[in-house]
Amino acid sequence: MTTSLPHDSAWGHVTGQSVFIDDRAPLRGELHVGVVGSPIAHGRIKSINLAAAKALPGVAGVFTAADLHHNIWGTIIQDQPLLADQTVNFIGEPLVVIAAEDRETLKIAKRLVKLDLEPLTPILSIGEARQQQQFIAVKRTIQRGDLAAAFASAEHVLEGVFENGGQDHFYLESNCAVVYPGERGNLEVHSSSQHPTEVQHLVAEALGLKQHQVTCIVKRMGGGFGGKESQAAPFAVFAALAAQKLGRPARLVLSKDEDMVMTGKRHPFQTDYKVGFNAEGRIVAAEIHLYSDGGAYADLSTSVLERAMLHSDNAYYLPVALITGQICRTHTPPNTAFRGFGGPQGVAVIEHILEDMAIYLNKDAYAVRRRNCYEGERNTTPYGQVVENNVLPQLFDGLHASADYARRREEIAAFNAASQTQIKGLAMTAVKFGISFTTRFLNQGNALVNLHRDGSFQVSTGATEMGQGVHTKIAQIVAEVFDVPATQVMVMATSTERNHNTSPTAASSGTDINGAAAQLAAEQIRDRLAACVAAHFEQPERGPLEEIELDMVRSHAHIVFEKGEIYHRDQPELRISFEDAVNMAYLNRISLSGYGFFKIPGIGFDKEQGVGTPFRYFTNGVAASEVLIDRFTGELKVLRTDILMDLGRPINEAIDYGQVSGAFVQGMGWVTSENLVMNPEGHLLSHSPTTYKIPNIQDTPRQFNIKLLSNHEAKNVRGSKAVGEPPLLLGLSVWAAVKNALSYANGRQLTGLKIPATAESILRELGAAEAAHAPQPVA
Amino acid sequence: MMRDYLLVYINGQRHEIRGEEAFFSLSDYLRYTRGLTGTKVVCAEGDCGACTIIRGSLRDGREDLHYEGINACITFMHLMDCTHIVTVEGLQDNGSLNPVQQAMIDHHGAQCGFCTPGFICAMSDHANHCAYQSERPVEQLETQRLRNALTGNLCRCTGYAPILNAGESIDLKAFTPLQQRYDTPEMLSDLQAHASHSVQIQTRERLFYAPNNLRDAAEFRVRRPESRIFSSATDMGVLINKEKSDPVVITNLSRIPEAHSLREENGQIVVGARVSLSQLENFCRSRIPEFARLMRIFASPQIKNKGTLVGNIANASPIADTLPFLFVAEAEIELYSTQGTRRVNINRFYTGYKQLDMRPDELISRVYIPMLPKDEILRLYKVSNRKDLDISTFTAAIRLQLDTQRQITGAAIAYGGVGPVVMRLPRTEASLIGCPLDVASFAAAGKLAREEITPISDVRASADYRYQLAENILRKCQAELEEQTSEAVVF
Repeated sequence: MTTSLPHDSAWGHVTGQSVFIDDRAPLRGELHVGVVGSPIAHGRIKSINLAAAKALPGVAGVFTAADLHHNIWGTIIQDQPLLADQTVNFIGEPLVVIAAEDRETLKIAKRLVKLDLEPLTPILSIGEARQQQQFIAVKRTIQRGDLAAAFASAEHVLEGVFENGGQDHFYLESNCAVVYPGERGNLEVHSSSQHPTEVQHLVAEALGLKQHQVTCIVKRMGGGFGGKESQAAPFAVFAALAAQKLGRPARLVLSKDEDMVMTGKRHPFQTDYKVGFNAEGRIVAAEIHLYSDGGAYADLSTSVLERAMLHSDNAYYLPVALITGQICRTHTPPNTAFRGFGGPQGVAVIEHILEDMAIYLNKDAYAVRRRNCYEGERNTTPYGQVVENNVLPQLFDGLHASADYARRREEIAAFNAASQTQIKGLAMTAVKFGISFTTRFLNQGNALVNLHRDGSFQVSTGATEMGQGVHTKIAQIVAEVFDVPATQVMVMATSTERNHNTSPTAASSGTDINGAAAQLAAEQIRDRLAACVAAHFEQPERGPLEEIELDMVRSHAHIVFEKGEIYHRDQPELRISFEDAVNMAYLNRISLSGYGFFKIPGIGFDKEQGVGTPFRYFTNGVAASEVLIDRFTGELKVLRTDILMDLGRPINEAIDYGQVSGAFVQGMGWVTSENLVMNPEGHLLSHSPTTYKIPNIQDTPRQFNIKLLSNHEAKNVRGSKAVGEPPLLLGLSVWAAVKNALSYANGRQLTGLKIPATAESILRELGAAEAAHAPQPVA
Repeated sequence: MMRDYLLVYINGQRHEIRGEEAFFSLSDYLRYTRGLTGTKVVCAEGDCGACTIIRGSLRDGREDLHYEGINACITFMHLMDCTHIVTVEGLQDNGSLNPVQQAMIDHHGAQCGFCTPGFICAMSDHANHCAYQSERPVEQLETQRLRNALTGNLCRCTGYAPILNAGESIDLKAFTPLQQRYDTPEMLSDLQAHASHSVQIQTRERLFYAPNNLRDAAEFRVRRPESRIFSSATDMGVLINKEKSDPVVITNLSRIPEAHSLREENGQIVVGARVSLSQLENFCRSRIPEFARLMRIFASPQIKNKGTLVGNIANASPIADTLPFLFVAEAEIELYSTQGTRRVNINRFYTGYKQLDMRPDELISRVYIPMLPKDEILRLYKVSNRKDLDISTFTAAIRLQLDTQRQITGAAIAYGGVGPVVMRLPRTEASLIGCPLDVASFAAAGKLAREEITPISDVRASADYRYQLAENILRKCQAELEEQTSEAVVF
């Protein structure tokens, strides 16, 4: 069943009826909650004067660190105060929470808080942090083979430093929460969070409640992209603090500017690398030292760095490799999960290296990539996992043909030789994305399936809906178990009351884990229904004292569920409608609920040694992008992108298409126009869409072809493959195409192009090329 | 007649708005007063389009309303007087989805859904325009025009491809025009009757005044010199939302009939104070095509439908996109006061950063743009970090006159984003006189241009980049003239 069922919220979205947090009608007495953040990047808190704010009519409460029962948090390493109490370590770091009767009063009250901070010198770059040895957690290493010997045997060696910038998530719905106080100190928290369980746990811990006193409900998010994996929780705590202390409903909704200033982003990286290769362009050794900018606190940085290290090979075999990783501590918001979770940064380095190797060897970069692609016996990653069911060569060859790469390469060379005003480039890059949380315990999930007497289902899992269509896919999975229409299945708002100890909806695993758990739960009900129907077929008439007893030992494989009916495989005239069977089961006191628990089998990674099988499988793809650059302004246009991906057997092809298209454009934004600009004091200057430019509808490739490879080998739920993050990394094809274009302009010299390749940075490279090629005066 | 309330229809329902509510932003009023929460607010600065609604207004020469999409977040209720607001909640057609909504479902054009109501409104507005309102109605939406119509809407989930697929699939014959759906004779005559009134709304803290003639407007300027004239608030709305400004005495010229006038007269285009940038773009398409082309990338449709040329001029930004053109075209600003009118050449209008040659009792009543002779060369450039819907890093206008030998006999060059005001480059202009259209002349002019400007580094670009652009844009102009290409082809 590969259908393109519409998103389960689509009707609500197009009519404006879908309810997001701030669309909820206010309850009687509801308060507006806001946060006052630090105005400086680093400093000591001398005093906080709240008198004027408290005295303002309409202010209901003003809170600081002292009002919290427990004031330290961190998803992995507990090192971050919810409300800063001794020092401030980034601009926007929350210090004071204010609750007011209305928005206007809240605005004024925020301005009345008097902070006395003693400024300290901030560290604002990876370079400074490295120089001052300011690191978070320990250095990690993945190593294979004899590096010295391999480099000694290499015909060519390139080394350098590569840098990528950060990226704001720019989910359209900024962080928000509304909290309703209930009986016995209980709190009902509605949060725009990818991780309701963490919100529940953090609210309970911070406010001194038991976990069972707090329920977190997530109906939907207006986008998440990783930005609401860990960092939604503190804002829910702030609203909960006001609700608890004042006994009134409390709502906190950040503005876009506040959200962009206060929350962490994709990690910038600075990477020292050295690569040895032979004359054909085959890598013999690679040394890659990754330094990420973790920001002020640990947040998810250790896991993000780990994934960057595990993706430094990408689709390419590194026979001998040393990969290290270290997190730098700076006075910026703690950087966090963002679609790809370190993967894009690791992959960017190796794609940069391969593009440079091609320029250096005067070869086509496609040929160099193809030569290094995992293939045959060359199929073990530097950390020892075998790349099984490897479709990468097939993807490379397939797209090379379908994108007409060779012919276009010739056309581009001719165009570039002729045009005085513009220059073109073409590049193909790949993605091999490891699926599973690298932290093993997160790879578990539970699901509850309730079958109602009219044959309709309510399904609850830990998966949160942020637009990616996980609820639609889960509904399809459950419907498929009974072969009833998916519209008969409703996936409910995610609530810690129904599904507890859940993992974040992250790592592209939402459907893999929660869909599998829902499938198990549904199968329990199906098996009972099958047993019930089998007994009924054997003895259709029963007296008033007789009740169907389920025989769960015997096989009921002869009972077939098909198109809303249940029948006997060998005697098809024995049949009953699905609804009648459900009602019969109920009357015979048979449970119509299923609780499924799923854990991903066969994974494990030794973080200390850097060895293991962290991933259940890989999602793979390739993309070829062609760009056009204005030689005089450096402005960039993507003319055409072709994508070929292996997504197994998609549960919902249209949803997967939307994930590929959306992730690609987001990745393209990261490598081109999305430029986070900070001033020397650490103020983020690009904190709203006026100055922070995500791709617009005019920026998408003029020709945009997305194709899926047919693959029935996938071992994941329903033979599908995870899709959320991997296509984002294909945005790098645009960046590589810019490098390729520059190589035509500068006589195939290596450039210092970084991520993002803004118009300004492209023009700088073009200018350097022109200066180098200016006619020299004859002596 | 003077009234103390605003008349606004919302999804066909009549509302009289008084007191404090007149000063609410349209989005707050819709969301929090009316409970119409389909309209979303993301950026509160007109840059994402999530708050897009469709505004119907009276327009000369139309019997029914003219509908167009605008941003609700940076407009205020007092600017909505005598209009009909259609929100996403009002787009269903007799309880069933309109073809835009249905196509967005069928083609998976919505993912998280937060931008979706804005897209639905912008696309429905475009569909309404193409199916009914345009002079040349069509049955299908064309891809590039669809992109242009959706330039003001950001989506972070879909990568836009599914949205374009949705738009391309719509059968416009099935689309019921908003005019047919909503424009009852009662509503139209009610709006018309109210449109000639002046409006004054006084609260404890604030005053709004919309006179119905220029004389009263000028007298009010004398009486209340602290008053701020709101043209359409595309900039003031941002400043107010971001707590950088809070004017308490506000006046607006939209009730003055002649302020809406746009005409060609004696070889000049005469633009009234309330003429929107969209109207001007349309008007210039055949008259000054290069200016119309630049207006395409000026801003989003939502901003251009609201914003005015006079607002762009009065705002006095050194990167205002219309200014370099107006400089080389030698446009004139008409200033009106109780003392009478005077006209100032725009090249002498700006005296410093955000400083105007304008007295506190004056207001801008009109702009006169001379039509350019057909044989002249006009090239307009805008460089920004993102091509569309972005504030300029650098802008340029180059106007050249050639003799029969294609030697330059006249040159006017104006740059924006390279100093506190938009500036002409007299030495660079002079250097080109007598030159052919060759590489050497323009390369030399480019070097000279660097000496005439004083750019700074900011969030958008470094001073170095702006210096380089100032040089390169002349070389680009020359190369394009030689290749006979224009960046319009792809960019």
